[in-house]
Amino acid sequence: MEKAFSFFVSSIPLLKIMAARLMWASKTASYLKISTFHRGFSSVVKDLKYIDSHEWVKVDGNSATVGITDHAQDHLGDVVYVELPEVGAVVTKGNSFGAVESVKATSDVNSPVSGSVVAVNEELTGSPGLVS
Amino acid sequence: MSLKRGLDVWKLGKVNYSEGLKLQAKLCSRRKSGEIPDTLLSLQHPPTYTVGKRRTYHNLLIPESQLKSIGAELHHTERGGDITFHGPRQIVLYPIISLKDIHFGARRYVETLEAAMVELAGAYGVEAHVGGSKCDTGVWIGDKKIGSIGVRISSGVTSHGLAFNVGSDVLDYFKNIIPCGIAGKGVTCLSREVSPRHLPLPPDGIIHDQLISRLSRLLGYNQITCREDINIAQ
Repeated sequence: MEKAFSFFVSSIPLLKIMAARLMWASKTASYLKISTFHRGFSSVVKDLKYIDSHEWVKVDGNSATVGITDHAQDHLGDVVYVELPEVGAVVTKGNSFGAVESVKATSDVNSPVSGSVVAVNEELTGSPGLVS
Repeated sequence: MSLKRGLDVWKLGKVNYSEGLKLQAKLCSRRKSGEIPDTLLSLQHPPTYTVGKRRTYHNLLIPESQLKSIGAELHHTERGGDITFHGPRQIVLYPIISLKDIHFGARRYVETLEAAMVELAGAYGVEAHVGGSKCDTGVWIGDKKIGSIGVRISSGVTSHGLAFNVGSDVLDYFKNIIPCGIAGKGVTCLSREVSPRHLPLPPDGIIHDQLISRLSRLLGYNQITCREDINIAQ
């Protein structure tokens, strides 16, 4: 069965981050596909699962939203560029599906789930300097 | 009992840029699978301009068609950072290391690369500093850049790294780009910045070793193994 997910990242201050995540999660609700998911991760926050490489995934019944933890953002520094996949791209758990650039370092972002991309935060793709 | 942390240093001499990319990809993959330990490549490149993931070709000030006539190549890479130049008498270090194993994030890693270059300059009586803002990553003497950084991190393993200008051979080539996309700032090299009492500089190989030594210490390695005469084609 197919899993659907969208991707979100932000390096803006904490208060705005939380609000933006909620907003994004509700935006993606309209892109849901019916699917199942594996309960492979340990949870810290209810419904919010962390994996060891600093990506978080929030499973909301039928879809998963993937983002970068604040912890990872502290370690990355200010993000200046984001490369995200196109809607429809297929991604595999544990494999890279995009990258973020900060302080002269591009870091691959790995997907914690397998499935196809149904939504991407368009505001973050492309232009350098847009994030943060 | 202290933890033994080993680093394999490969001294490669002059390496064509594309060969360097292939080697890094191969080693990165082997490092991810644990086949090899943390490895540091020490080398130089023939005249080569490179752009990073953002493909900032607009910072190349001469037409690409002219590059051959000045004896230079142009390559694009997946590293962070803007356009830069590699050439003779410039130290290039590519650490292929697992950041997870040494508990470093990207920012701390880049800061460590910078610190190693600042320390090296200091050893020659040159006061270098890191940039003040996120656009100024690298190592500067006044408003002239002496050391550049462009890094790629894939599944926690690094590739690409730093470049530090020792001799003035590269300086003219930098006139054909807006280095790192930062207009209005110059570039310099160690031989131009040291006071006469530090001249002549030791052979480049010695300065490479000094930078390797400082960087490996800052990264927490206490056991360094050097390899020379490596056939990178295998």
